[in-house]
Amino acid sequence: MGFAPLDPILHNQLRLAVMSLLVAVDSADFNYLLERTGATRGNLSVQITKLKEAGYIEVTKSFKDNYPNTACRVSAQGLRAFEAYVAAIKGYLGK
Amino acid sequence: MEQTLTPEESLKVIESMIGQAKRSFSRLSFYFLLWGVLLTGAMLATYLLDDLEPSIRHGLPWGVAGIAGGLISSVYGARQSKHEPVNNPMDRIVGWVWGGFVITMLLLLFGTLRNGIDPGAPITLLTGLPTFLTGQILRFRPLILGGLLFWACGIAMHFTTEAGILTALYCGAMVLGYIIPGLMLKRQEDGLRTA
Repeated sequence: MGFAPLDPILHNQLRLAVMSLLVAVDSADFNYLLERTGATRGNLSVQITKLKEAGYIEVTKSFKDNYPNTACRVSAQGLRAFEAYVAAIKGYLGK
Repeated sequence: MEQTLTPEESLKVIESMIGQAKRSFSRLSFYFLLWGVLLTGAMLATYLLDDLEPSIRHGLPWGVAGIAGGLISSVYGARQSKHEPVNNPMDRIVGWVWGGFVITMLLLLFGTLRNGIDPGAPITLLTGLPTFLTGQILRFRPLILGGLLFWACGIAMHFTTEAGILTALYCGAMVLGYIIPGLMLKRQEDGLRTA
């Protein structure tokens, strides 16, 4: 039996970190993701855009205390992709 | 950061991030400290205002504590949710637990007072449930023990009508079940925020 291919969108450290954070919460602000992942603002922004373009997350821009705020949440498609990725990883690890 | 991950590294990232997200609770210590102080004060006032009319002696301290606590909690909660950078489903569950507790407590208060029964003991028993569940949800042992203490004091209060003992049991449960766990939780929350 061959190994399931790993989703290239998720098989990236920062994108995987963002998705892992988002699957555990309802939604999270950009600054929260920045703080938790330790990424740079520019890199995080690029990876969030990639996840959004893949349909894995939904991004909402609004204002919070008169400052622009970006909130992210996992979409149903993103959740399915994440679950498939975790299953594939477990297959590789023989769990 | 287009680097290749090994399956072990992927799993590590997933576990670490999910672990961090699960610890992203709202600050709950404030509520335990606020209500702990207010309700202990109300109980002590009821005991000390012995020479007043029973309706004033009971109604005034508990009414003031209930209204003040409700208003402060609502304002604090609204401000906190506005500033919170993350919405954690566990926060919602804790909110439902305490919301359900408040509704049950008000109904119990209505039922007991209507029948001329002192609501102190049943409410103390009831307080054990949300405290215990919050402790389990947060995996915070002092609150779990606090919940057990409320149950123990609540049942003990059913065996006496002596005002001094009832006051000591209630205040003891509040101090050891709310205030001290609240202080310990605050320390943990402050530590997590600065980590």
